[in-house]
Amino acid sequence: MQERYAYYPGCLASLSQKELDSSTRAIAQKLDIELVEMPSVTCCGAGDIHEAKPDYYLHISARILGQAEQMGCDTILTICNVCTLNLRQANKALQEDAALLNRINDNLKEVGAATYQGGVDVRHLLWEVSEGNGYDAFKSVAVKSLEGLKVAPFYGCQILRPSKILGFENPDQPQSLERLIQACGAEPIDYPAKVKCCGFPIVLAREDVALGELVQPLEQAVAAGADVIVTPCPLCHLSLDAWQRKAADFSGQELGIPILHLAQLLGAAAGIEESELKFKRHVTRLSPEVKAKLQMPSVVGTEA
Amino acid sequence: MTEIKNAHFTTLKGAYDTETMEATLRIRRYDPDTGKARFDQFTVTVPVTASVLDALDAIKDTRDGTLAYRKSCRMAVCGSCGMRIDGGAALACKTPMKKFVDAGHTITVSPMGNLPVIKDLVVDMAPFWEKIRAVKPYLDTRDEEVPDKEWRVSPEHGDLIHKESLCILCGCCVSECNSMESDPDFLGPAALAKAYRFVGDARDTDTRERLRDLNGAHGIWDCTRCYFCNQRCPKGVDPRDAIAKLGAESFKEGFVRDEGARHAKVFVDSTYKGGYLRETELVPKTIGPVNAIKDIPFALQLARAGKVPNPLSPHKAKDNDEVKRLWKLLEKEAKGAERPRAQHPDAVREG
Repeated sequence: MQERYAYYPGCLASLSQKELDSSTRAIAQKLDIELVEMPSVTCCGAGDIHEAKPDYYLHISARILGQAEQMGCDTILTICNVCTLNLRQANKALQEDAALLNRINDNLKEVGAATYQGGVDVRHLLWEVSEGNGYDAFKSVAVKSLEGLKVAPFYGCQILRPSKILGFENPDQPQSLERLIQACGAEPIDYPAKVKCCGFPIVLAREDVALGELVQPLEQAVAAGADVIVTPCPLCHLSLDAWQRKAADFSGQELGIPILHLAQLLGAAAGIEESELKFKRHVTRLSPEVKAKLQMPSVVGTEA
Repeated sequence: MTEIKNAHFTTLKGAYDTETMEATLRIRRYDPDTGKARFDQFTVTVPVTASVLDALDAIKDTRDGTLAYRKSCRMAVCGSCGMRIDGGAALACKTPMKKFVDAGHTITVSPMGNLPVIKDLVVDMAPFWEKIRAVKPYLDTRDEEVPDKEWRVSPEHGDLIHKESLCILCGCCVSECNSMESDPDFLGPAALAKAYRFVGDARDTDTRERLRDLNGAHGIWDCTRCYFCNQRCPKGVDPRDAIAKLGAESFKEGFVRDEGARHAKVFVDSTYKGGYLRETELVPKTIGPVNAIKDIPFALQLARAGKVPNPLSPHKAKDNDEVKRLWKLLEKEAKGAERPRAQHPDAVREG
């Protein structure tokens, strides 16, 4: 589809969730998307900097947006809900308040950083491939049907709400993940908690409150007969995957459901190899049956 | 079916002489005497301009007088008619029926969440009011002498709490609060938006005590940022944003000991030190080294999957000196800034 984006993987995909970065790069190549690196960016603040130091948050966001502008990119591609909301929220504030943008640009200039003129959009990978040209492009590269795979979509919060900042789809009845699951030949599973919170932002500070939230999508997806859960957010992924055993103890029932990043699901349907999708970096491992349904050739061949 | 006498509609028809439509609603009923719940479906003729509340009125007037719901002003001011429409809390009086009728969609109406149901669509608001009371929803100027003229608040200072002042206490934000579902004692979005309305008030002198109370268990750091409150609020209060403002005020006043605040501080410090988040510092600095050691078996599970970055060679973004200089510049600016204070009327009496 020959699109060019400033690529903002964010902290998690660059550090603990490297499998997401690797899968994204692989699927982008299939889709003929050019990802332009942003080597000088900081963390988006994840809502934490917004909460602790709101003025600093606006400045570092303007610096990130300004760098994309300087690179000649009009769109930043994100692969994380939290990055998407935080950058879009700051972008809206900066675009709507010229006095604020001027003051921030003066400060950025003073420290020798890129300034921002207000001309950049921030879009999540999910939005780019679930409709329009991106969707058509994905359909054309989805060569392997994942027929028989039951996939529970888990949206997470900050790609849906607040819709006045995100606004891609109806936040109560989203359909973008379902559309892509079907495009992969798999079957979407419906359950009420798919639009609720995974608890991750408070899993360290308030573990019990967070686990009370996390168990809902896990229990419901398992009860609905899903083979895997797919999510567009690496924070939700970490919560659903790495905290799953704690959630099982909290819930008092066995869960054991593998969690896929969106890019991994798309990658499997596009025939990308396991060496790039890196399922072995998950805490909740994929069973041979699930791997077979994901069309991973290793189960057919040598791997036990 | 259309032959059925519709008293409510007759009144409206007389008043407005408007076009009509057939509206179908599926309503969750709850009978406190039997403790049983069920769904009833009704179709009523209403004007095309009818709200969901108008349709409920038509049902109560012409079909089933035992249907219970709250209402008063009918114009999105009193905050009485909060209820779930297709699962999402909204004011029935502010939700037009026509879009559903046009789509051929039968709406499901049920009581708000996170509050006990008394009957049908009526919830017990007592826990809601208890939390509002807990944040001292009144101006405290005890450190100041009582003036004989009114306080003067500049428009700029008024703007600081304008959004939070719009709250009509309907409870829609609380209905889908994910943290409150998990911790029923969480103060929640409505009470916290109210708390900011006074923390941010230039006349209030109780700021530090208020913030100290809000930084404990069930306080601001319980919020999981699910943003259901901003999504549901019918008045644009954006309670989640008010909670973030309370966090920022807490930092200004030096309340940084809650695990939530310590968590936030690691993000701030990480950008300064290297750009990206220092994930390995997040756990010990949030929950403390002792609890972090207790969690070692869990950390090992993560490490086995390659999810623990090497703490000895942390990520370093290019040109991060810019960020360091920026941080220092902003901290210098913030040091000079004073907390917004209203002018005591006596001080300006002569002016």
